[in-house]
Amino acid sequence: MAEQSREALILKTLGRPSPKFFLLLAVAGGAVAWFAYAWSFMLRYGMITTGLADWGSAGGVTWGMFIGGYIWWIGIAHGGIIISAAVRLFNLRTFMPVARLAELLTLCALSMAALFIVLHLGRPDRMVVSIVRAFPRAIFSSPLAWDVLVITLYFTLTATYIALTVRQDLQAIRGGMGNEAAVGGGRARGGYFSRSRLGSSTVRGYTGGQYAGRGQLPALPALVHRVLLTGYKPEESKKVERMVWWLALAVIILAPLFLHGGVIPWLFAILPSMPGWYGGLQGPTFLSIALTSALSGVIIIAYIFRRVYGWEDIIPDSVFKGLTFFLIIFAMLFLWLQIQGLVTGLYAAPVGVEAVTRAKVHSFSYWLAIGLVAVAVAYLGAQRLRPSLFSPHRTFVVAFLPLVATLLEKSLFVVEGIMEPRFSLYRAVPGAYKPSWIEVSAIVGTIGLVVMFFALVPKVIPVVEVTTDEDRREHNA
Amino acid sequence: MATELNSDRPQRQRSEQQGGEPVRTTIRNLELARHVARDAQRVVAGDLSEQEFYERYHEAYLHEFGVDSRAISRQEVPNVASGQGAAKGAMAERPKPMINGPLSRRAFLMLAGGGAAAVALAATLGRLVPQVAYARTEGSSESPRAQGAVEGSQAVKRIQMGMVIDLERCTGCLVCVDACHRENNTEEGVHWMYVLAYKDENKEGVNFLVRPCNHCTNPPCVKVCPVMARHKREKDGLVLTDQDICIGTRYCEVACPYGVNYFQWGEPNPDTEMIRQHGRKDYRGRTVEFNPPRGVMGKCTFCPQRQDSEGKRGTTSCQQACPHDAIHFGDMNDPNSAPRQYLERRRQEKGGYLSTFRLLDDLGTEPNILYIGHQPSRSAKQVDGPITYEDWGWVDRRGDVLEGPRPWFMRVFGG
Repeated sequence: MAEQSREALILKTLGRPSPKFFLLLAVAGGAVAWFAYAWSFMLRYGMITTGLADWGSAGGVTWGMFIGGYIWWIGIAHGGIIISAAVRLFNLRTFMPVARLAELLTLCALSMAALFIVLHLGRPDRMVVSIVRAFPRAIFSSPLAWDVLVITLYFTLTATYIALTVRQDLQAIRGGMGNEAAVGGGRARGGYFSRSRLGSSTVRGYTGGQYAGRGQLPALPALVHRVLLTGYKPEESKKVERMVWWLALAVIILAPLFLHGGVIPWLFAILPSMPGWYGGLQGPTFLSIALTSALSGVIIIAYIFRRVYGWEDIIPDSVFKGLTFFLIIFAMLFLWLQIQGLVTGLYAAPVGVEAVTRAKVHSFSYWLAIGLVAVAVAYLGAQRLRPSLFSPHRTFVVAFLPLVATLLEKSLFVVEGIMEPRFSLYRAVPGAYKPSWIEVSAIVGTIGLVVMFFALVPKVIPVVEVTTDEDRREHNA
Repeated sequence: MATELNSDRPQRQRSEQQGGEPVRTTIRNLELARHVARDAQRVVAGDLSEQEFYERYHEAYLHEFGVDSRAISRQEVPNVASGQGAAKGAMAERPKPMINGPLSRRAFLMLAGGGAAAVALAATLGRLVPQVAYARTEGSSESPRAQGAVEGSQAVKRIQMGMVIDLERCTGCLVCVDACHRENNTEEGVHWMYVLAYKDENKEGVNFLVRPCNHCTNPPCVKVCPVMARHKREKDGLVLTDQDICIGTRYCEVACPYGVNYFQWGEPNPDTEMIRQHGRKDYRGRTVEFNPPRGVMGKCTFCPQRQDSEGKRGTTSCQQACPHDAIHFGDMNDPNSAPRQYLERRRQEKGGYLSTFRLLDDLGTEPNILYIGHQPSRSAKQVDGPITYEDWGWVDRRGDVLEGPRPWFMRVFGG
């Protein structure tokens, strides 16, 4: 009975949406529409509208918030799947309820990162043809080609991972696992193919909205389910389990070593022309920032779902306590790496490194970013030491601080790197930069897109795994 | 100099034991072998045509083996090396680099190199889409400093155009900047050729640094380009941007330590009469000349439109315009070229001692501008020269004038 109600709770997301849902969609859609206007404006008149300019004699900044936003989103993306993969590999059962939310966050944040690359290009119209043609040779030299490769790889891994795990779930909510009749048109149990008309099907335990009891799904989700379940066989679950395990292993190895701890920082770390970027510290710094922002993102999303659907039992306090613990660790790592950079950059550094570190120290935004992370660490640490201070709501609010801080820090990292190049003889160095309305609109618009994603996807697939480990064990036995 | 390859020995012993003739066709000159091997890879990759490849090693092969039966045209190989007027043979008639032919070999080599699946896919796509020759960053062995090794061998020297700029003769008149603008039709504030006037500690008065592109032998901009639009032209070592391929990542600009790149943020100037007539394609048919279209990177090109022409080969607009004969352009690897000869003459004038430098040499870019004069120190500061950019009616700081149209809401609120 408890199992049944758990399932029903999870499937609440597929229910009939409330007016508030449409309000949320309208607000997020408005942000996206505004972003679309800004982008079309930029495409119409060229990148001259962005406020970016050449460094050197021109006194500008060549890469700005598009790249800052790109690193930010990709950081959030990289952390999401690491959490999920860790759940599977290291059996961190506590985080099981947020595993799929983290995976979904990875999928959409990764798409936003890719979108920022497209936004950043002077000639997006040629992108596909130029990249595909040059790729076999460019991959041997260009870090941006590596970047294209790892993002594609990462997206494929994550999408496969989600698709595989979702299949089992969908089958489970249709007719129970191991019930072959459900696939073969088991009318007896209200199975998936019990209705001949496309676009309607009944779901065990689904009680959302008007579809109370053995509910009927609206056309679109039902169609998506049908597509996702193509060729499903009950005996596949054992193999899927193995495949997902290997995918998780691949992610755990790839993500920290070569993705956010590798290729993304290498875009910058290998260029001696910009002392603020150059050096081995970037890898660990990027990774710490990625995990900090990703954990914050997962906390925020998990809390919103818990609040909206009354999931106190599905996503219990222990999840937030656990996520907070890791957030503290990675945020402290981030602060520690900043200290390393400041001390080595100020004490007796080469001229270029010293110049960029000084510029950083004199920047308000930098200290704002550091301050936000420090406050978050201090509060979450106190909450950890004195459990009476803990509340999921407060954790949710504090989780916004590192998110804002990482966006600030990464944008600043990009801009200040270019402002203080090694060759500083130009009078117009350091150049001037102010984020334009188009760049800010892009940040806001992509946040709107992610909100829409998290509003719409739960209407189609369950965002918490319905199939528990017990189910699987039982089934496999 | 004939060094025997180690792998040669067992084979020879074996054939002698068997009573046969020793194998005579092995390459015994290691230096030559290395060059041939490297260029063979270029042929496979499509950077070098087979014709050019055969021609390049014809003499060396004859010297080494006494016979070279490979098909080469008897047309004399044009010599761009010694600068003005020395070349014979029309560049325009030379065959375009062969790329479509050896695709299977190319695909095979890449598969061996790694990334098998992606490469196989791309090679398949490569069959479908018309290929473009992608030149690639050169090995560092062609640098003037490593020249001894090259000179010592039978291998043909690589041509690397560059400049000797005599800063002691520069007066900061900015005539070269003007000439570049006229030739290349660059936008307001875009100074492919830029002259920095600066004051420095322990140096009296105003000093000058003339800054075109360095056309590095080991160019970081070429390395980082994800679409290989930025490339190094095989014929003469020019670092160019293919305006048809560039997608405007601006990675070349942030990777370049010299700040020579100027992106086309907005609409370019309308083409001049000269550009309309000439077009933007070089002798290979790649669009690399003059100011680029919107969204594409531009920088000093060393005027390929001149290097590919009969009359103006071995000149650049800035070099020709300089009223003080401070800029000397030619093949930096050829001791008889105009810049190397000038350098030698100045060295003799100074009694064997001449202060020269290359900009940011320690970054390993192997720049091909050699300056006569003293390097600006880290505390040097740019100042107004005797003649400023404003005196010429130009904008110095381009960022100030890069302003696109404003959206309606900014106009409404007066932002």
